[in-house]
Amino acid sequence: MLGIDDPQIWLAYVLCVFSAIGCIIYGALKWNDGEEEEEC
Amino acid sequence: MAVSTPVLGIVVLIYLMMIFYLGWLGYKKTKLTEDYMVGGRKMHPYILAISYGATFISTSAIVGFGGAAGALGMGLLWLAVMNIIVGIFLAFVIFGKRTRSIGLKLGAVTFPELLGRRYQSRFIQGFSGILIGLFMPLYAGIVLIGGARFVETTLNIDYDVAVLILTVIVAAYVITGGIIAVMYTDALQGALMFLGMAFLLTLTYIKLGGVVEAHQALTNMAYLVPESLAKGGHLGWTSMPVFGSPIWWNLVSTLVLGVGIGVLAQPQLAVRFMTVKDDKALNRAVLVGGPFILMMTGVAFIVGALSNVYFFDKLGVISVVAAKGNIDLIIPEYINSAMPDLFVVLFMLTLLAAAMSTLSSQFHTMGTAIGHDFYREFLKNGEIGQTVNVTKIAIPVTILISVALAYILPISIVATATAIFFGLCAASFLPMYTGALFWKRMTREGAIASMLVGAFTSLFWLLFVHAKEAVPFGISQALFGKATLLGGTWAFVDPIIVATPLAFITAIVVSLLTKPIPQEHMEKCFGK
Repeated sequence: MLGIDDPQIWLAYVLCVFSAIGCIIYGALKWNDGEEEEEC
Repeated sequence: MAVSTPVLGIVVLIYLMMIFYLGWLGYKKTKLTEDYMVGGRKMHPYILAISYGATFISTSAIVGFGGAAGALGMGLLWLAVMNIIVGIFLAFVIFGKRTRSIGLKLGAVTFPELLGRRYQSRFIQGFSGILIGLFMPLYAGIVLIGGARFVETTLNIDYDVAVLILTVIVAAYVITGGIIAVMYTDALQGALMFLGMAFLLTLTYIKLGGVVEAHQALTNMAYLVPESLAKGGHLGWTSMPVFGSPIWWNLVSTLVLGVGIGVLAQPQLAVRFMTVKDDKALNRAVLVGGPFILMMTGVAFIVGALSNVYFFDKLGVISVVAAKGNIDLIIPEYINSAMPDLFVVLFMLTLLAAAMSTLSSQFHTMGTAIGHDFYREFLKNGEIGQTVNVTKIAIPVTILISVALAYILPISIVATATAIFFGLCAASFLPMYTGALFWKRMTREGAIASMLVGAFTSLFWLLFVHAKEAVPFGISQALFGKATLLGGTWAFVDPIIVATPLAFITAIVVSLLTKPIPQEHMEKCFGK
């Protein structure tokens, strides 16, 4: 896959792209969550 | 170098003017101790994310680790995966939110203070402070060497002068503007780094004929692995090394796990979670932080590995040979030889930004660790009112130590010093930091025991067992007549793999055997 034979490597390649996309999705979904609610 | 010095000089000058402007903004906005230490707890999520990422990624992460990928191959991408999942997602969502809320409730302004107040122990704060104050200059010294070498080669300035110029510029805005100046300048530097790395990836894939084609060409080169590396377990640049071989241990234990997990307990990064107002800012920061780190480490490792294809096509040799055996030169060689002139300027700026952004946070953290945590809180029991002034004096002192180290340390120690600091932080701080946030039953005694066990096991393993550091330091040889006390595979196992679990076990056992922290204090930390 992707010109890489060893699954341990292409898995890492794909995972780092997907985890970054995961971060984008998380941030977008939780964009307005966790507004200041605590006392100082 | 292909680009003329005047052009680069002008670009660097414009960049420095912008840095000074941002430093001045930081100075203007700093009025209280809380502003100087944690940005008044109201930093913007974008600034938090980029500043965290830019601090995290130093020149050595791009050049040193990118070069390591040139030698070892794409197995390093597992570190990129760790950097994103552990270093960003877990750090912000799990650790960051609790750190922010407990830090606010306890009024902590530094990482050691957060731990000290959570466990009601001045010793924890003082010892953490001194540990950071002693060992962070080593890490800062390394970053300084990397930055100064860049200034030396690109602007044709003497190395010794380059160290001084770089130190004075960064120290000026860190001392006057505190963390606000640090984070504002980080944001600009981070943006430059993002741009530089994005171009680097795109141009590399275009040059090598496309994504799949480039990878395939690298896969086909497996037969070119030099004899010495093949013996160590190297199977090619798109394969993992042989399981359990020396290269596998180095890759998995030191690079992927050591650096990948070590990041969670980095004081200069953890303090950033206390610079924002609410969890919303942390959620939003994840959106920026994930892709940012992908563009840093992910790109450095991919391009580092693919440089082999370029050098083989052009010169008929692999990257390590093209860089004359010095893996730190793989990335600079590749950039100078393969990239267009204009990009060389941008990339040089990227590297300067990477060095300065890491350096500024290190200066700030070392100074606050010694000035605030160790001197003011531990030695003087919090009696001196003006924390900021003490810190402002402590920053130049710790900087001087870093500069001295930058002159003394041999160049061969560059890659190891980063790993030493990461490993030491993970073993000493991670169990007690995790316990502070998530385990109410963890006691002060448990925390102290785990910190001491972690720190001393880690140092012992570094100096007497792990060949990579024990051999160059030579203390084991001098005392016991043996290069390392344990042989075989043990000599390749990173300290973090041994010291961190040991510190975790100590934390749990000692906590269960000692008296819990009073309920009222727990309610103060976590709310009712």
